[in-house]
Amino acid sequence: MRCGDFKENYIDDEELFPSPFTKFWLALFFIFLIAFPFMANAHLLYIANMIGFAVIGAVGLNLLAGFTGQISLGHAAFIGVGAYTSAILVTRYGISFWLSIPLAGLVSALAGMVIGIPSLRVKGLYLCIATLAAQFIFGFTFVHWESMTKGITGIHIPPPAIGGFQFDTEKNFYWITLLFVILGVGYARNLVRSKMGRAFVAIRDRDLAAEIMGINLFRYKLSAFAISSFYAGVAGALWVSFLKVVTPEHFPFMLCIQYLAMVIVGGLGSVIGSIFGAVFMTLIPEILNVLSDMVKSYSPGMGKLIIPFKQVVFGSLIVGFLIFEPRGLAEIWSRIKKFFTLWPFSY
Amino acid sequence: MKKVSFCILSLILLLGLSGIANAQKLPTICAVHPFTGPFAFAGIEGSAAMQDVVDMTNEAGGINGKKIQYYWSDGEYKNDVGIAAFKRLYAQYTPQVMFGQSTGMTKALGPEIKSRYKVLYSAYTMTSEAANPKENPYLFIAAPTYAEQFGVLLKYIAKEKPGANIAFFYGDSEFGREPIPAGREMCKKMGLNVVAEEVSQVGGVDLTTQILDMKAKKVDYCIFQGFVSNPIATVIKQSKDYGLNAKFMGTFWSTEKQLIKELGPLAGEYVGVSAYSFFYQDDLPMMKKIKEWTKKKYPTVEYRSQSYMQNFMTTLLFVESFKRADKMKGGFTADNMVQAFQSIKNYDVGGLMPPVTIKDNSIPVGRVYRGNASTMQFDPVSDWIRMD
Repeated sequence: MRCGDFKENYIDDEELFPSPFTKFWLALFFIFLIAFPFMANAHLLYIANMIGFAVIGAVGLNLLAGFTGQISLGHAAFIGVGAYTSAILVTRYGISFWLSIPLAGLVSALAGMVIGIPSLRVKGLYLCIATLAAQFIFGFTFVHWESMTKGITGIHIPPPAIGGFQFDTEKNFYWITLLFVILGVGYARNLVRSKMGRAFVAIRDRDLAAEIMGINLFRYKLSAFAISSFYAGVAGALWVSFLKVVTPEHFPFMLCIQYLAMVIVGGLGSVIGSIFGAVFMTLIPEILNVLSDMVKSYSPGMGKLIIPFKQVVFGSLIVGFLIFEPRGLAEIWSRIKKFFTLWPFSY
Repeated sequence: MKKVSFCILSLILLLGLSGIANAQKLPTICAVHPFTGPFAFAGIEGSAAMQDVVDMTNEAGGINGKKIQYYWSDGEYKNDVGIAAFKRLYAQYTPQVMFGQSTGMTKALGPEIKSRYKVLYSAYTMTSEAANPKENPYLFIAAPTYAEQFGVLLKYIAKEKPGANIAFFYGDSEFGREPIPAGREMCKKMGLNVVAEEVSQVGGVDLTTQILDMKAKKVDYCIFQGFVSNPIATVIKQSKDYGLNAKFMGTFWSTEKQLIKELGPLAGEYVGVSAYSFFYQDDLPMMKKIKEWTKKKYPTVEYRSQSYMQNFMTTLLFVESFKRADKMKGGFTADNMVQAFQSIKNYDVGGLMPPVTIKDNSIPVGRVYRGNASTMQFDPVSDWIRMD
């Protein structure tokens, strides 16, 4: 504990920003986030936007898998539902982008609730298979409901705008992404310290005990699916509005695995872990790409060897993290914070 | 902790440095190849082809004395990775021409290429969307579109057996479904009957239902789309067991050595359309040149695939566009590059294709080849067929 940082009641313990140090560093981080688009080029801003979408999606999945213990393999499908909802609302019905985002989240939440119904009867691997069905059902719908989704051709989406100002570049869209990341992360941080968040954790730890304590499993499990899918829907809607196109091939099964990997590498049951996981899974392959390109340019003959090797490095990094820190990047972060809490007088 | 901070700072610095724009006026080509992932068989060959054309051109003096710069990155055949690589390469080198790895990447970047990047762009795709100059003048394909390839095959069939029964056998993917509506229309116009449409996953092994359905509908010709080798080989092999006496055909990506290797003694059962001549057609001047170059630079390489030829042809067009744009006022500007590209007429490519004339940002010409079980090669069975 830091000197002079006393917690005298539970409310103090649960504060979002528990100390002046936290507030200071967070403020500094926000200044960096606001200054970032003025310093970075289009490529870095593209990566930043992709990290933002991944953060929203991963926080949503962590609320379901990490906090409530309900493993879902349908996350890519829910991202797709949100993406198509937004694209259809904007292009077909002329609804504003700003309204289409919450509506996309709501439609995804509805889809998530329907797919989440089996969670009341099945758990673990069985639930995985049940949610996997969503991937195939919605994947099929995206391709074959041509009158609505335009099938394989996909839908071209105009960039969002406010008045005459268009969010059509990485830099302009960054502000939208940042806004939704702050809203999404802020809501998740609040949710997990609320009655609902504690109910989620109780269900994860032992659902029978939770039910005996008076927690309505039906309500809370479905709520977890709905909230998680809402996040996925918003992430999907933002992603395709940024790309300006949506096709069924944007939502392969591998996307589910990628999101699960983000949550596991980042740390199950931790909001900040989801952020770390999303950053790690998006940034590391890009850094490896840059490094392999550099090696290739200095030694052109090595390209054939070095480029496939980056996937081995990426895979090894994930395995390494899971072996040496099974609780994810969030735990490493926690240790770093503890180190500094007593620094320079740690013992 | 110092080590951790040092690593983080180094990475940030590295990314920052990579983003510093390297403004220059030299002719520059950037490409995103699927060097790893499911399409690596094409990416590895394609990246080599581009490098070879650039080296050949530079050895011969470049673009009126200016050496061509060529940079590429791996896109892993994933849309997000490919788009990131595109943006990274553009930010670093501001090229005048770019090459992408897939249909998905082309569709996603198309609007931005038109409104922001303004680079002459082609890709490992033959989708009609990349050959629509009214919609997007910067995109082109150095081959016929998938629909035009269907047209070449249907023209061949209409000549061989008027009024034949046709089946379309396609993959349940964007690549598989794309030319099907156009194929139906062309059949109507040519007096051919589409009696069956079969759908399968890539690599499907149990195809009894589809084969029996085609048998019941008395299919004369079955055209595959959306596959590279399997399930084509499986369908051809199993059709013999079920007594289906159809002729089997396919488009560019399946008309390749890999398929006839898998077919073995049944190689002669497959007929495919390709936009380019094959590596072993060494009576053609360009093939002779490619063979000599390969022997000199890569002594262990014995064969160059059709993916190599596609990229070779595309890069030849990039180079020709550079040469023409360089003579225009303003040099390698976006408008000049498009104008230079679209002005290409009867451009002699030494038999790699017939003399090239750009029409609607594609080259609507193909040739029909049959597999040969004894030589394990494809033999031409038609002349070049134009679709314009």
